[in-house]
Amino acid sequence: MTAPARDGSAGAAHRVVLTGFGVFSSIGVGAAEFAEGLRSGRSGAKPITAFDTEGFAHANGCEIVDFEPEKWIRNLDVAELGRASQFSAAAARMAVEDANLDVDVLREQRGLISIGTTDGESFDLDQLVESQIAHGPEKMDSTIARRVRAGRLSAAVAHELGLTDVEAVTIPTACAAGNYAIGYGFDAVRTGEVDFALCGGADAMCRKTFAGFYRLGTIAPELCQPFDVDRKGILTGEGAGVLVLESLESALARGARIYAEVLGYGLNCDAYHQVAPNQSSVARCMALALENAGVKPGEVDLVSAHGTGTKANDITEARAIREVYGAAPPRTISIKSMLGHTMGAASALAAIACSLAIVHRFIPPTINHTATDPECEVDCVPNEAVEADLRIVQNNGLAFGGNNAVVILGKYEEHR
Amino acid sequence: MPTLTEERATKIKEIVCEILELEEDEVSETSLFREDHDADSLRAIEILASLEKEFKVVIDQSELARMVNLKGVYEVVAESAGW
Repeated sequence: MTAPARDGSAGAAHRVVLTGFGVFSSIGVGAAEFAEGLRSGRSGAKPITAFDTEGFAHANGCEIVDFEPEKWIRNLDVAELGRASQFSAAAARMAVEDANLDVDVLREQRGLISIGTTDGESFDLDQLVESQIAHGPEKMDSTIARRVRAGRLSAAVAHELGLTDVEAVTIPTACAAGNYAIGYGFDAVRTGEVDFALCGGADAMCRKTFAGFYRLGTIAPELCQPFDVDRKGILTGEGAGVLVLESLESALARGARIYAEVLGYGLNCDAYHQVAPNQSSVARCMALALENAGVKPGEVDLVSAHGTGTKANDITEARAIREVYGAAPPRTISIKSMLGHTMGAASALAAIACSLAIVHRFIPPTINHTATDPECEVDCVPNEAVEADLRIVQNNGLAFGGNNAVVILGKYEEHR
Repeated sequence: MPTLTEERATKIKEIVCEILELEEDEVSETSLFREDHDADSLRAIEILASLEKEFKVVIDQSELARMVNLKGVYEVVAESAGW
């Protein structure tokens, strides 16, 4: 194996591949079950149990009801971790095992851990505030208080796996954070700054976010229906996706299974409005990603949309896609129809979904679809998955504040 | 035509001015929140939410289109409350 250049000097640009996935979602745990959920169009929507929903006229979400962190977290005390950190640490452990990597070997290498999030441990903050209001600040639980820093989402991964020669960073760019985390890992592996990167996103259901979106009028009463003429908004979800990134040389040298190649990414921040997306900025972000990946729009076979199912997002995103791709854009799907909006985990789980789609040769459907909104002129592959040979896939992540991040993934081919 | 007591009108104006960070003499019944007072859609939702709490009513979000000035807000609250 060629030792990676550590100085990022010219000629050190490595190809970057994905060799392991850790997945916690409401439609499947682990890459195999997740792929099956995506192919069959499974829905994770059900009544929320994570917090008291009294007073809300409707309260469906995409919760993970059977999460057993102890199965994955072996070194840390689970009670010392908030639910989002449990998700990230468990997903990282799963990703490393899925990549067939020996943790002892990783400990000798230089690595990056980048985990994106929207809410960090806001579920714990909900509990602390509730207890403060009811009983006073002196009654706040110190264990819960210790869990709340968002930095722990990535630090917990390092602690759990015993990785000391790593940068562990939590990226708080909300609903596009997973893609930001992958982009950061891509750069670090490509330049040879690190030997491996564990990248992704994690979020846990919380009352604060549900209530906030509810008040904005963007929570759907029952189902998430992206691009549908009758769509009514998002369903909040939870989970984590962690991806193992390594150089192609490293993957080939150890005979690793390669899911897909990261071809490039783009990100921008327009700060146009707190919550309203900006079409030209979203289009510019896609163009940046394509340029970074060295890909022409005509070469893209599928767009995994941010596709939240709100009126504003889906129209703006569909128009931005047509701005980049012209009158006949690639098929454009939203997996949020199935697993809800998992916030900081969303674009990481979507990147995994794109890779699984490439490997298993299918396009996941946009479920709950009755009729496409004439203002969202895309083929969203309604309700049923279709077989497809995908070579290049674009994964969109768009966040409040105009934080956009787009990742371009490719089928692994020896010559590119 | 719904009726509005002076007490309720005063309370509504107080809520609106607090959220838009305005002095009460800066706002007339017909001055526009967005155009004249730099409000945005999030402030509008904040106004709606505060009115719902204060008067124990439910205001449909589609009414935001009418809640562009104090006069519109008075009417929507009065109708929603059945005054």
